[in-house]
Amino acid sequence: MNTTRVWFTRMRVMTSKELMQLLRDTILIIFTIYAFTFDIYWAGSGVSLSLNNASLMVFDGDSSYASRELTSRFREPYFQNVGTLNRSSETIENLDSGKAMVTLDIPEGFEQSLLRGEQSTVQMQVDTTNTVLGLLASSYGQQIAGRYGMEVAMKQQGLSPDGGISGPVLDDRHRIWFNPNQKDSWFMSIAELLTIITVFSMMLPAAAMVREKERGTIEQLLVSPLSAFQVMFSKVLAMTLVIVLLTAISLFLVIGGVFGVPFKGSPWLFLGLATLYVFTTSGLGLVIATFSRNMAQAGMLIILLIAPMIFLSGAWTPPEAMPTVMRWLMLVSPLHYFIDAGYAVLLKGATFTSLAPQILGMSVLGGLNFSLGLWRFRRQFG
Amino acid sequence: MNIYRIQAVISKEWREIVRDRLFLVLAFVVPAMLMLLFGYGLSLDVEDIPFAIVDYDNSQLSRDYASRYTSSRYFDFKGYSRDEALLAEKLSTNELRAFIVIPEHFEENLLAGKSAPVQSMLDGTFPSRASTTKGYISAINSAYSSELLANYLSNAKGVSAEFAAKALAPVVVSVRYLYNQSLLSTWSIAPKLIMVILMVSPPFLTALGVVREKERGSIYNIYASTVSRAEFLIGKVTPYVLMSVVNSIILWLLATFLFEAPFKGDFVFFLLATSIYVMCTTGIGLVISVLVETQVAAMVVTAIATVVPAALYSGVLVPIPSLSGQAQVIAHALPAMYYADIVTGTFLKGTGMIDLWQDLLILTLYAAALFALGYSLFSKRPKS
Repeated sequence: MNTTRVWFTRMRVMTSKELMQLLRDTILIIFTIYAFTFDIYWAGSGVSLSLNNASLMVFDGDSSYASRELTSRFREPYFQNVGTLNRSSETIENLDSGKAMVTLDIPEGFEQSLLRGEQSTVQMQVDTTNTVLGLLASSYGQQIAGRYGMEVAMKQQGLSPDGGISGPVLDDRHRIWFNPNQKDSWFMSIAELLTIITVFSMMLPAAAMVREKERGTIEQLLVSPLSAFQVMFSKVLAMTLVIVLLTAISLFLVIGGVFGVPFKGSPWLFLGLATLYVFTTSGLGLVIATFSRNMAQAGMLIILLIAPMIFLSGAWTPPEAMPTVMRWLMLVSPLHYFIDAGYAVLLKGATFTSLAPQILGMSVLGGLNFSLGLWRFRRQFG
Repeated sequence: MNIYRIQAVISKEWREIVRDRLFLVLAFVVPAMLMLLFGYGLSLDVEDIPFAIVDYDNSQLSRDYASRYTSSRYFDFKGYSRDEALLAEKLSTNELRAFIVIPEHFEENLLAGKSAPVQSMLDGTFPSRASTTKGYISAINSAYSSELLANYLSNAKGVSAEFAAKALAPVVVSVRYLYNQSLLSTWSIAPKLIMVILMVSPPFLTALGVVREKERGSIYNIYASTVSRAEFLIGKVTPYVLMSVVNSIILWLLATFLFEAPFKGDFVFFLLATSIYVMCTTGIGLVISVLVETQVAAMVVTAIATVVPAALYSGVLVPIPSLSGQAQVIAHALPAMYYADIVTGTFLKGTGMIDLWQDLLILTLYAAALFALGYSLFSKRPKS
């Protein structure tokens, strides 16, 4: 009984020591608050990963009603007409300089051949330095032009006098679930929060550990009656406390408050998941800490792990398209599970039971990380 | 400014770096490893979308329509089902990203010359992926519609199906893909990865340098010495700039030989621009390290200031014109955007100084401004 109380008292003292040390670093605290609020706000309000406003320049060699009609259909949200070209030779210049991403070249006699019922070819040049967007732009462009052509033809063939398209065609209806208005802010603000949580939960505990090693204060801790577990776990506890508190602020204030993301599931469940995630990732940070002698080494090792985690876990890029080896590798990234579970709770209304695989995944990784960290720590200082 | 004192600071810093073996190795291994991981792993293509079909009509025409999806390389067919609730469930557990519902009377309507509704249900969690998927579906649907119409027209007017198809598509779009004709995504990604990695790794190398001295107290040796502020900062940063230039050459080699991205521009110009860019990113690390007092703070600030912007505000994932107001401002305030023009220009477009001098000028001013800022913030007379 008494030993348990002593154990808890020691944990409390160590945890508050860590908290105090953290809170005294004013610049760090200011920056941490910035990261959990404004940084997430910028990302959510400004960044869209969809193809919007592809800059378009048109060389209209026909200057007719038909060519103007076609040009006017290339509009927002996919295209943005940024200028007209006077000669078709100006095309390459503008693509080279990046002023235009797509150029359209409508030949002379375009309207005439449409009226005669002949086919007429419109040139479209697409900058494919970004292949995905280039392909999308060309696909949208082809659909726009194809639809225009079909409307003209249907009128001429007397199939549809009012200019629309009727007859045996597919009536394309879409329903987009979980984010019906396709608001990028919903997605981006959550993605950014997950990224920020990752950065902090990896770095703060690792840094707290390496700092003790670097300054030699670890020796003091080792001669104290604290166990290796207490030394390590109190750091994680203190940092988890701070990170989860800030996550809650960010969740309710920025994501729910400013961006109005409707929490389909329980935000408390999300915070619970975040706690588990922070714990797991801190474990990884501690493992790194046992491998590095100073902060510079720790910093480089952390970057080596954190950058692939953030870039490849599926927040910014589609995981389905990744090579198989990489998808396997991502199974050891705790962020991979947290992304699945986090979005599922906030946008899809997932409950605790349906998230069992993700929770299990994070717990197993967390357990492994801690055991490895503790084992190495004991071996170094035991 | 005394060249010998700068040399002395450089050799002190260099020795410190070299004697920390793990750090020295990591300084070169980390950028190369990131290049390999991203180069092989970072694919922006939306492909193999797991999807299912609900076919209530179960007619010849509906199966023919469904085959357009099952044979597409963009979609990964997971089977037919009639249980929409189950599919909805799978949409929320990420087993499916989309499903298509073909209602009853599909064939009947179309054969009667009427339009037939088809509904696609999409997982909108990731808006960009949802809109790309929607784009694929619309493309398949409109192609199928044109075929249906052409058949209809040929039956109604008694003309050949070919003629009808031609008559219905009077506007032909001939698309030319520039700079990356075969649409290889590694070509477009590899050069930009150089930008991303050089945005992340040099600041990390540098940021801890000055703070380390502050935190350990060894900076008092500098405060008490004859080394001036400028000499100290230049000497301190030079080894990191040089290491990063070496790294950029390694990255260039990986991009051109391993990922086989074409390099059409002038290598000398590329190396010059890259060195200036590296000075910019090193400068970011320098300013951070002058500002903060502890290494933890240096590490965290550097991560937030470089990793996220390198991905979101640099043009590697999102083109700059797609960004909205404030994000545009952030993008313009970072060096990555200007260097992105330079890497895509020198790699894929074969442009050089004539087209890119503005970007190069901005980067040069940027680097100068950062060093000026670092210089003015750094004081040899500590407050307390």
